[in-house]
Amino acid sequence: MKTIVSIRRKALAASEEHAEELRGRFAESGTLVLNLISSPGSGKTTLLETTVGRLAERYRIAVIEGDVATERDADRIRALGVPAHQVLTGGACHLDARQIETALETADLLPADILFIENVGNLICPTTYDLGEDFKVVLLSVTEGDDKPLKYPAIFSRADVTVITKADLLPYVPFDLDAVLEHVKSLNPSGTIVIVSSTTGDGVDEWCDLLVERLGSKRES
Amino acid sequence: MHEMGIAIEIYRTCREAVREHGQGRLQRVRIAIGELSAVEPDLIRFGWEAVIVDGPDAGAELEIDWCKADQRCPRCNESKDRSEGSWLRICPDCGTPLEVRGGDELDVLEVTFETDDDAAPP
Repeated sequence: MKTIVSIRRKALAASEEHAEELRGRFAESGTLVLNLISSPGSGKTTLLETTVGRLAERYRIAVIEGDVATERDADRIRALGVPAHQVLTGGACHLDARQIETALETADLLPADILFIENVGNLICPTTYDLGEDFKVVLLSVTEGDDKPLKYPAIFSRADVTVITKADLLPYVPFDLDAVLEHVKSLNPSGTIVIVSSTTGDGVDEWCDLLVERLGSKRES
Repeated sequence: MHEMGIAIEIYRTCREAVREHGQGRLQRVRIAIGELSAVEPDLIRFGWEAVIVDGPDAGAELEIDWCKADQRCPRCNESKDRSEGSWLRICPDCGTPLEVRGGDELDVLEVTFETDDDAAPP
């Protein structure tokens, strides 16, 4: 006998249920959660180190690091006295909500004011997966080239915040900043763009202010 | 490539639907993929084949409904024809941000399975 069942169910329903559970948990603990996405080497961990330096005295910060291999990134964060957990994906190109649940069970990360989830370096795959975050942040370093927003439009249109990193190198690389700003605006008219250099500290105040402001609005709502 | 992982999730979702309504072998599955879902239909097909091959549901067909986004300009008050898969959310005529509806679908719509009363549950 042939049976046809109409279901209309999200293909990633199982993963998204976990993301919703996490979102509830983060709402309860009043934790602002960011999902950081970018190419490898764009400066995610360095920006986190700088951010920890600025905010860790006033706010409880925790970090989940996603990488294919090594504890290097988590070690860098722990060296600053901030709790960090390394998720090793063993080849997978993105983090999934279930791995965040396991990380929270394994390591003492909550309660925290801000939890940073540094995704696996990749501009494509992490875009599809909800980790229970408040918003996604995409980083683009000026050395990667100014064509990236148009070449990888999904992440730039879905990330609430775009951070242009390594801005101190702008004089040395052919990176048309105005064009990038225009492209990101076209992909994401309501998004916020921050331009930083973790090396010189330029723009870091603006980035940290944004985090503190978002934390405040999350707790008010 | 994240389509392999998505194909596995689609398969799990289908198997769960079958379990909820009886038991049997998957024959046909219909899914929806939106043009702005960042998922490539050909790679989903490839992943699907890899997931079902050699299993109890080998040979199950995957049908894909490709869903376009409705990109509407509130100022021109009309839907704009955008090139396939365009992510630019600015009206090409007046520069106003477009209101985008749909196009992000990644749904299992329909599962067809064949009940074999003699067969043990897969």
